[in-house]
Amino acid sequence: MIQFNDVSKVYNGSVKAVDNVSFNVEDGEFVILVGPSGCGKTTLLRMVNQLEEITEGEIILNNQSVKELNKIEMRRKIGYVIQSNGLFPNMTIEKNVMIVPDLLGWDRKKRQDRFNHLMELIGLHPDEFRKRYPHELSGGQQQRIGVARALAADPPVMLMDEPFGALDPIIRNRLQEEFLQIQKEVKKTILFVSHDIDEAVKMGDKIALLRDGEIMQYNRPEEILNHPKNEFVSKFVGQDRVLKSTSLYSVKDLDNEVGLSPYDKSAHIKAVQEDTSLRIILSMLLNQEADQLVIEDGNGNRKGSLTLEHVEKFLQAKVGENADGVALQHE
Amino acid sequence: MLAINDFLNYFSVNSEQILDYTFEHIQLVGLAIIISILIGVPLGIYLTTNEELAGTVLQITSIIMTIPSIALFGIMIPILSIVGQGIGFLPALIALVLYSQLPIIRNTYTGIKDVDPNIRDAAKGIGMTTFQRLWKVEIPNAMPLIMAGVRTATVLNIGIGAIAAYIGAGGLGSLINQGISRSNNTMVLVGAVVVSILAIIADLLLKYIQKKFTPKGI
Repeated sequence: MIQFNDVSKVYNGSVKAVDNVSFNVEDGEFVILVGPSGCGKTTLLRMVNQLEEITEGEIILNNQSVKELNKIEMRRKIGYVIQSNGLFPNMTIEKNVMIVPDLLGWDRKKRQDRFNHLMELIGLHPDEFRKRYPHELSGGQQQRIGVARALAADPPVMLMDEPFGALDPIIRNRLQEEFLQIQKEVKKTILFVSHDIDEAVKMGDKIALLRDGEIMQYNRPEEILNHPKNEFVSKFVGQDRVLKSTSLYSVKDLDNEVGLSPYDKSAHIKAVQEDTSLRIILSMLLNQEADQLVIEDGNGNRKGSLTLEHVEKFLQAKVGENADGVALQHE
Repeated sequence: MLAINDFLNYFSVNSEQILDYTFEHIQLVGLAIIISILIGVPLGIYLTTNEELAGTVLQITSIIMTIPSIALFGIMIPILSIVGQGIGFLPALIALVLYSQLPIIRNTYTGIKDVDPNIRDAAKGIGMTTFQRLWKVEIPNAMPLIMAGVRTATVLNIGIGAIAAYIGAGGLGSLINQGISRSNNTMVLVGAVVVSILAIIADLLLKYIQKKFTPKGI
């Protein structure tokens, strides 16, 4: 869907913001561009919808070089969300959300139906918000509206520039969850800029880690966490990267890899669902909530039990020889 | 007490004359403001796209502001005499338009420039053309500042318009002018008071219009 071919961005003839970047984003893939400030991630994003000019190389969008596309038309086909939401203060929520369909000349009925649908998608009541203005909404609500606006004309591609960056951790977390749900439904091809590796791990199908305009590693989150390609990646993802990676796996994954043990009826047990993330399992085990955790499937059937040993074995299998400093030791 | 009696007396005796002068005054200032808006607002918007020219134009309009009105009227007499309009309505109108340019151009320029860059970025990013951005986003958001400039220019012009009577442009300045030459303090006072009232009413009216023109969300 989006192809970056040796893309570079040079400012003032000398400063290289993006340096010879090449990677592909497949249809329906959710790719996070992550890296420290000034690594060129936002510039890279903004070159896709030509808010920044491409100095060298090509970005291919749907088999066409973006340079050859009409800027105005192509931007209307790309959802764009920015950190400070960028809602127009002079327009009502309905006008804000429906701005692109409006520019595209949709008729009233179609616009109204779309507005109602989008508001339900983002979990806000259409009639309650229709006539209100952005400044009357909370930060989280404004950002939801920003997302709805980007989805309005049902663009196949979304560009999101730290959309949840300015929100407090609780709201950010909730919006991330909500957005993942929305993505499950709408299946857009998404390029998402973040400076937060946790957000990247949580949200992305793939992560492109950048430094000084160059891609350090481009892979699935678990690969980046478990097999960092170099010193920089390893530092950026943090010493606790193995712990972080546990949030990517569920008990089911563990069962498939190393299997569960039969459970001991006499011992003190606690039942958990098999889609629970290993991070939570780990926390429960370390917290001594029970001697053994009994795993149940969706229908309440007990499948077996699990202890710290299982988690350790699983992680060893996943991380392999590259594991260093695993914070897992049981007494 | 005597002064107030004289004042009221003059008022009632000459009310028709005063009303005529007031009407002339409104005509002069009103026309000047309309022309000023038509020149100043587009120019102010254009200047946001041309930094170099913006500096020069704002400088020139500032210099115009420093020219004493009486001198500006004086300068225009020989120039406009060429077309036979050295004194009267036309030079007064031109002077008022010139004086209005600074507040109107500067406020429009600043208003548009001050629109939150994130909002401009969003407008660009979702695919608005330059004109749509201006019309749907930038001008509405700059409206309070643009209107503030128009208000300043209007009040300014009502004051300067009074001096235009010296070059025969009529208006409420005629009362003051005649009052001074006849040593009639009552006349001067009436002229001054009516000019002030006119300025206050105009400002309130424009404030109301400003509210109407400003989108609710701002």
